[in-house]
Amino acid sequence: MATARDASGASASASVAEAVSEWRVRLPEKPFKDLKYFGNLKAKVIDAGICSRCLTCAAVCPAPEGITAVDGVVFENWEEKCLDCGACVRVCPRFEYEPKSGLGEYLEILAARSKRFSGQDGAMVTEILASAIEMGIIDRAIFVGRDEAWRTTNFHLREIEQLSLKTLRGTKYCYSTALSELREAVLRSKGVGVIGTPCMVSGVKKLREEFPLFREKVKISVGLFCTENFHWEELHAFLKEKGVSFEKLVKTDITKGQFIATMTDGEVTFPVSELEEIIPSGCRVCTDFAAVDADVSVGSVGSAPGFSTVVVRSALVKEIIDYIRRNKYADFGNVMLKVVNKMVKLKKKREANIKK
Amino acid sequence: MEGISILSIVQANQANIPLLEGLRGLPGIGQILPFILWKPLLALLLVPGFLGLTLVILLMVWIERKLTARIQWRVGPREVFKYLGGLIQPLADGMRYFFQEAIVHKDAHRPYFLQFPILAFIPVLLPLLFISAGELVAIRTDFGVQIAVALISLIPIVILGFGWASNSRLAFIGTVREAFMYFAYEIPFIICVLAMLILYGTGDTYEIQRHAGAILNPVAAFAFAIAMVMATSRLPFEIPEADQELAFGPMVEYSGIVFGLVMTLAYEKAYVMAALMTDLFFMGGAGPEIPMLGDLSGAIWFFIKVLIIIVVVFSLRAIYPRYRIDQALRIGWTFSLALSLLALAISLCLVAFGIAPSVTAAEVVAP
Amino acid sequence: MRDVKKIAIPEYDAVEKAKRHTFALITAAREAIMPLTFTIHYPTERKLMPKNFRGFILFESERCINCWQCAFICPANAIRMKKAPDNRYYPTIDYAKCIFCHFCVDSCPRGALKPTKIHDVAYKDMEEMLTLTDKMIEKPEVHREDERFVDYVLGEDDATLKRERGKDDFFVEVPTPPEVRFVSRCVQPESCLGCRICEGVCESGAISSVVEDGVRKMRIDEEKCTGCGLCVKECAMQILTLVRVR
Repeated sequence: MATARDASGASASASVAEAVSEWRVRLPEKPFKDLKYFGNLKAKVIDAGICSRCLTCAAVCPAPEGITAVDGVVFENWEEKCLDCGACVRVCPRFEYEPKSGLGEYLEILAARSKRFSGQDGAMVTEILASAIEMGIIDRAIFVGRDEAWRTTNFHLREIEQLSLKTLRGTKYCYSTALSELREAVLRSKGVGVIGTPCMVSGVKKLREEFPLFREKVKISVGLFCTENFHWEELHAFLKEKGVSFEKLVKTDITKGQFIATMTDGEVTFPVSELEEIIPSGCRVCTDFAAVDADVSVGSVGSAPGFSTVVVRSALVKEIIDYIRRNKYADFGNVMLKVVNKMVKLKKKREANIKK
Repeated sequence: MEGISILSIVQANQANIPLLEGLRGLPGIGQILPFILWKPLLALLLVPGFLGLTLVILLMVWIERKLTARIQWRVGPREVFKYLGGLIQPLADGMRYFFQEAIVHKDAHRPYFLQFPILAFIPVLLPLLFISAGELVAIRTDFGVQIAVALISLIPIVILGFGWASNSRLAFIGTVREAFMYFAYEIPFIICVLAMLILYGTGDTYEIQRHAGAILNPVAAFAFAIAMVMATSRLPFEIPEADQELAFGPMVEYSGIVFGLVMTLAYEKAYVMAALMTDLFFMGGAGPEIPMLGDLSGAIWFFIKVLIIIVVVFSLRAIYPRYRIDQALRIGWTFSLALSLLALAISLCLVAFGIAPSVTAAEVVAP
Repeated sequence: MRDVKKIAIPEYDAVEKAKRHTFALITAAREAIMPLTFTIHYPTERKLMPKNFRGFILFESERCINCWQCAFICPANAIRMKKAPDNRYYPTIDYAKCIFCHFCVDSCPRGALKPTKIHDVAYKDMEEMLTLTDKMIEKPEVHREDERFVDYVLGEDDATLKRERGKDDFFVEVPTPPEVRFVSRCVQPESCLGCRICEGVCESGAISSVVEDGVRKMRIDEEKCTGCGLCVKECAMQILTLVRVR
């Protein structure tokens, strides 16, 4: 059951004068009429192998201990526990799958390197969200941290000083569960920033379309350039076999077709194509490289080493970049659009995997 | 030789108590009676001796607590014997000390830790031999007061001994403070007594108690009172002990019956100094004669006066806060010293003008 | 550090000092003879407590509407709601945690929790301190040793003590607070998931839903709604709120 909330986190932003006693809720179509809505989601998305484990369904599921991700998206005992509300079906980006591709619409593209923070490349994700907190646009950002075995954890960043935690920086090449904590974050804060892969930011876009609560409160969604993600168990076993010792692991990077695992006492490198066999099925049908549904997309492709490519898509993020420019929080460089477009085209080829 | 036997010595110095005359006829008691009524023994047993001391200790604790409570709008001890208002509370406390474990902690110098409280009784009780209560006096000598003062001056040394033997931080602080206070009050005290001795011309308390010193030299009485408050560690000069700060100063490590001994030391010292004060200033055993008691009546008046002095001095506890050590030292070396020197000057003037008892007595004696 | 003021000990001359000493001694003498003793000899005397004294809490179950406001507002988390045989929840107070702030008494919309003047409660063990509802309904057994109560009456310059005879009654009559009706309403209906958790927790059956033409219609019947606030607490999107109705 939900815990008691205090007044400052209350989500009701409409005034009490407009409160109503009768209202309607849209019910989506059920392809499988005799199953509850989660059963429909399971049949059409999860069991069909196109679930990208973005956990947007978990962001809205109201059932206590509803949708979680354990080796895939599950809802334990859904036949009895599912409340049949239909919210998960409404927000799942793969339920009525319209694959996104291309570079997307943008206001500007730039390459930048943060002077304040260090990260995977130019630490621009950190810089943008930190600047947003400073500007007062958001008061909470869901960062992805990790434990000693490099499983992903969620860290709700409230103050910039918390960024001294090193585990928050750098790419972890396995699924993040950030969206499962998004509803709590939204109910407790006035502005939330979230970081995710293209599937996650597509989910966030759908959340914003369906529910005003998320539209008003999720101010910034940062998308990452993504080719594929991995299940932690499979990647962990694979890397261990390759000789990676996780206690000494400092950084993982995929660049120029090579997977580089940097440890304190050495490096393990192998071609990325060797990971082909453990690419999850949900990623194989994804064609979105540049996270076209995000407010801003950030990645390493297209800029010099140590710099991040930033694709600014919303006016709010443009204000943040201007703020960064004014305060000289970052250096700016050149973007090599050709490389980015090459990767975009490469991922679009995955259209072929989508069953019609 | 004839006439010199124990009995004759005893018979020579008998106290006169008409009430007990009737007992002379009885067989067993009649033999012992001369020994009991031998003045030194009686003085030692009764007043100013053990009975007086015991009564003071028992009563004083109760009176102090009740009186202080009354001034402070409280009630004080009440429950132990409700009908008398907790009168036997000190007795109950004393019995408690018997049953409590006397801990000697590891760091203490064990033999000194345990012996000093007992040794402390020597300088405390010996002066009582020289102080006279009316007719009852143990030893009559021209140097009685001087010996008493010398012995009283030894008491702080024993207190320093407690603190040293305790070998603990709080005890150390308390001991050092006691040493400082010793310097503060000892000189004015001795000069006061000196002033009175010049006035009286003799140190024999039996003779001194005939004269009202308080009227002759009130400044000396006042200075003596201040020195007494400092010496017995009473508020406002409760510096070595300082309950709220030092948890009892030099005596902090004592527990059980040893603590009982140590705690009563302060009261005994007060008793001794009050007894000396009564003799020097307030005419000792003088008072209306109670017919049946003979010599005892003087003793009883003496005891009452001592009690009144102690009550007045102890009730200052309810009125004053505590002085700081530097303030107390300043008072000791400026105000108190000035007062006692003034007292000395007054005595000298009185001698010069021929009013002092030392002069008049000498005139009487000389043909 | 500009705002730090140095406090100096006031310097008095000798005459002033002597005057103050004498005044102190005279005050002491006066108090020794005619004191004003403040001590209240409990338990034979008791202090007279004011009417709204915050003591032991009594409960009247007929007035309770199951709103759980007392449990929510308790700052010490001392109130737990326990299910009674009639399927309603009633408060139990754990006196090991209760701080006697009486927030629960103040927040009860029907005045079901009532204050008393009992402050000296004794328990034999910790388990007894969790007071169950039936113990809160009946008046506790009080062993009284007092013959009179003591009241401090304030004079012009200092307090005086008045000792009056007579026993003070511990149980105070508290008038029923005026009924203020609250009903639940939805403030952001577009964010409703349609999960119907509110319908599930509503005890008076005020919230209902029906599926018609591909939409789910939610309805709150304001006649039936008791304003208990359970749906407000349980709503997954927190879009319900209590609204005052005349």
